[in-house]
Amino acid sequence: MRPLALLLGLAAGAGAALLALRRLDAVEVTGASMAPALLPRDRLLVESLTYARRRPRPGEVVLATDPREPGRELIKRVAAVSGAQAQLLGDHPAESTDSRTFGDVPLEAIRWRVALRYWPPLRFGGIGSTAGTGEPWVVAG
Amino acid sequence: MLTLRSLLRPTRRVHAHCDIPCGVYDPEQARIEAESCLRIIEKHDASDDALFRARCIHVKEERAELVKHHLDVLWHDYFKPEHLEKYPDLHETFWKATKQASKVKQSLDAGAARELLTMIDTIDDMWKSTGGLEKTRVNGRPS
Repeated sequence: MRPLALLLGLAAGAGAALLALRRLDAVEVTGASMAPALLPRDRLLVESLTYARRRPRPGEVVLATDPREPGRELIKRVAAVSGAQAQLLGDHPAESTDSRTFGDVPLEAIRWRVALRYWPPLRFGGIGSTAGTGEPWVVAG
Repeated sequence: MLTLRSLLRPTRRVHAHCDIPCGVYDPEQARIEAESCLRIIEKHDASDDALFRARCIHVKEERAELVKHHLDVLWHDYFKPEHLEKYPDLHETFWKATKQASKVKQSLDAGAARELLTMIDTIDDMWKSTGGLEKTRVNGRPS
């Protein structure tokens, strides 16, 4: 079991270092525009290493500064990237305010990529690179 | 001291955001899920395939949960204080209907599922008589 312990130790150390450097962070989802992939109160691990070295790709779930309210961060899926801009859409269009309303956002507004969901534990894991699987999830109001 | 709990605590909220409540509220949403519960119970009872029956129970519980959700949304988002004046038993009606949905979730009682449909129809009457149909349904949708 010793190599496993070593591996876990290394992973924990790397995680702590990234947290300290503000390259890794934990966030909580509000709103239903990413249902069913992400539900309100889901907790996610996000990282800012990827977009320091490359552009966002379609299918990735990202945090972006709200172009209309800079103090707020949105979570949406990248639908397309062209030039210096990205089109962001929610997975659940009827419940989403996104690039259809506020247009494409500049790539500088996107620094964080969603790495995985860690809460709730039963839904631990990646978010997937395509939109929801058609699970019935309707939120009105 | 850096505890696991503090590591797991989110530092901020991110918004999977929607600006506009769409204003579409319709008891039919709950009714369709409730109809689904009834049909699934019937199919469950008619089958002797253990696996199929297990799936029936699973899906029926999901649907019953959706009934509760749709009724809740109608209750707190569609109905307003003036509707309560017109229907003083509004809260009681919703409370009983959502309780009935719990019963359907917990049991395989087709009678309970039929009773739930009747209760949703009562709510549908309230919804219609408070103008829900005109306010909500897009022109041309048959009632």
